[in-house]
Amino acid sequence: MTLTTPVVEITNLKKTYMLGKVPVEALREVNLKVERGEFLSILGPSGSGKSTLLNLIGALDKPTSGKLLIDGVDVSKLNDNQLTEIRLKIGFVFQFFNLIPRLSAKDNVELAMSIAGMSKVERTKNTEQLLETVGLKDRMNHKPAELSGGQQQRVAIARALANKPRFLLMDEPTGNIDSKTAHEVIELIKKLNAEGVTIIMVTHDQNLAKEAKRTIQVFDGVIESDMVN
Amino acid sequence: MRTRDIFSYSFSAIKLRKLRAGLTTLGVIIGIAAIVALLSISQGLQTTITNQLEQGLAADTLIVSVSTGGAFGGASGGTGGGGFGGGSSGASSGFKLYLNYTEEIKGLSPDIEAAFATVQQSGYLQDGDRVRAISGGISGVDFAEYANIYSTTFVAANGTIPLNPSNNDIVVGARVHDPRSNGTIFVNVNDEVTVIWTNATQLPFTNQTYTAHVAAVLPKIGSFGIGGPSDTGVYVPISQAQSFFGTDEASAIIVKLTNSDNATITNVSKLITDHFSNQVNVISATAVLSLLTTIFSTLTLFLGGIAAISLLVAGIGIMNIMIVSLIERTREIGILKAVGMKSRTVLSIFLCESVIIGLIGAVIGIVLGWGLANIVAVLFSGGGPFGGGGGLAITPILTPEVGLLALGFGVGVSVIFALYPAWRASKLKPVDALRYV
Ligand SMILES: Nc1ncnc2c1ncn2[C@@H]1O[C@H](COP(=O)(O)OP(=O)(O)OP(=O)(O)O)[C@@H](O)[C@H]1O
Ligand SMILES: [Mg+2]
Repeated sequence: MTLTTPVVEITNLKKTYMLGKVPVEALREVNLKVERGEFLSILGPSGSGKSTLLNLIGALDKPTSGKLLIDGVDVSKLNDNQLTEIRLKIGFVFQFFNLIPRLSAKDNVELAMSIAGMSKVERTKNTEQLLETVGLKDRMNHKPAELSGGQQQRVAIARALANKPRFLLMDEPTGNIDSKTAHEVIELIKKLNAEGVTIIMVTHDQNLAKEAKRTIQVFDGVIESDMVN
Repeated sequence: MRTRDIFSYSFSAIKLRKLRAGLTTLGVIIGIAAIVALLSISQGLQTTITNQLEQGLAADTLIVSVSTGGAFGGASGGTGGGGFGGGSSGASSGFKLYLNYTEEIKGLSPDIEAAFATVQQSGYLQDGDRVRAISGGISGVDFAEYANIYSTTFVAANGTIPLNPSNNDIVVGARVHDPRSNGTIFVNVNDEVTVIWTNATQLPFTNQTYTAHVAAVLPKIGSFGIGGPSDTGVYVPISQAQSFFGTDEASAIIVKLTNSDNATITNVSKLITDHFSNQVNVISATAVLSLLTTIFSTLTLFLGGIAAISLLVAGIGIMNIMIVSLIERTREIGILKAVGMKSRTVLSIFLCESVIIGLIGAVIGIVLGWGLANIVAVLFSGGGPFGGGGGLAITPILTPEVGLLALGFGVGVSVIFALYPAWRASKLKPVDALRYV
């Protein structure tokens, strides 16, 4: 990969869901290019297609038509298995944390590494480092239920970073935590981007949105505006 | 994902739902325990019976009796069974096996060394004021010839077997001497006893009696003896039987061969049946053993089949649990796939859980089944409360084959019934799974 390869390159992307026999055009025609190191925020009203776009960039779903290059690879041509493999290169942070309840913070992060086939020794080392980065080293043996919303979201971010992803996708990372705890998550995201991590996020949170260096507005399945702050 | 990590992930999932996993495992345990218990008891029983038969049965003898349609005809009955080819009453064709046919039989083949007749009736023995039915029957035999053929079993444990007996000499089986095998003696050597036979051949029935002298007690032989002596039998000289029972018909004619080759046995058997125009049965040790083997393999298959059904039920239980677990864990599967877990790995995790359940269930089941088989064996063997007349000592046998079979079955059933849920789990799409609340 050369330095100039964009991490994400989207041309004429369409996504249509079928609700029974009724087609729902979630994304109508999207063109977007994200370079390494960017901090991008996606805004737009509810139902405009933000999550749909993020899921496609995260290789969780396949586009109906159009071209979607992730790290130079055309995702629309991949089968389910290859799609899964691409996901190892992507860090995804969900609105509802989506940690595995029976596993401790440490094990949740480690699981992502073991899925990638990392050895136990390496896993242990990297996990401790990551939890240190997100400021939760002293809580690493706690289960999700024993952590606050902000702490859970930081564990989720650590997990997303587990396999050194090309970029971090976040769907409303502060959407389910109060503004006070949201602060620690915002600080962490800022810090990660400062360290060079590419971040693409969907957010309604003004405090978080204003930190992004670039903002795009999605409206009814198309990008209405694309501004550098 | 590494195999070890898959395994430990599956294990952590099972551990979380201990009660449910335990109940699922219980299904496997019961199925496997049933299989192991039934098979090891039936194998033990087979070995016991076969051994006893081989002991009480000379391989180089044939037993000729009147054909009654079945091989096991006769009046004597009971597990004490010296009674194969017993009483003469069952003949429907009117054909009678007379005592003096022994001479004809002897002349049929040079492979025949000796032939002698036995006369058997059911009757009672009275010693003082105690009377007992003789379940093994009262048999008239030539003491010398009988002792010659059954040289290990028709020997005296007490007293002596007279080779030239006087008419009132009798020899009794070990359980006639000591019916409960616990030292409560019924008749002893040198006792004067009364032999009682109810003559039912004419009306009114009459009880005939004579006073006999117990010359010898036989050693404990076991439950089975074809033609040979039985623990529950009483033996009287053939001439005495003839006059006492008032008959010149033989219950059976025992033929001793010069060798025990299969060819000889088949040959002579055919010569004899042909000579009597198929109106006699010829039973050989080999034939009985192979018949028993057939019966036992059918029985084993049947019992195994019943146990397998319980395992099938367990399998359906596993499938049920797996589907519930799948629905419960839809979100978890979505997370795993979103993080990059391949469909194949998701499948492995679910199958691995079923392997763990199957393996634990099978191991516990085997141990439990083995324990159960031993308990049952003790209960039904001589000493136990259910130890019936036979007093058959069963030693359950668990062959490595049965053990492996049970293990394979436990794991196999678990995996087979987990296949569908596991496959469904692996096919979940991450976006859909994550939307699921
Ligand atoms: N799996 C699906 N099946 C059918 N329709 C869907 C599906 N997912 C999304 N949609 C529809 O596509 C449109 C875009 O949905 P999307 O979730 O992307 O919106 P959003 O911008 O993320 O909204 P919000 O801000 O509320 O999260 C909506 O009209 C939604 O109903
Ligand atoms: Mg959304």
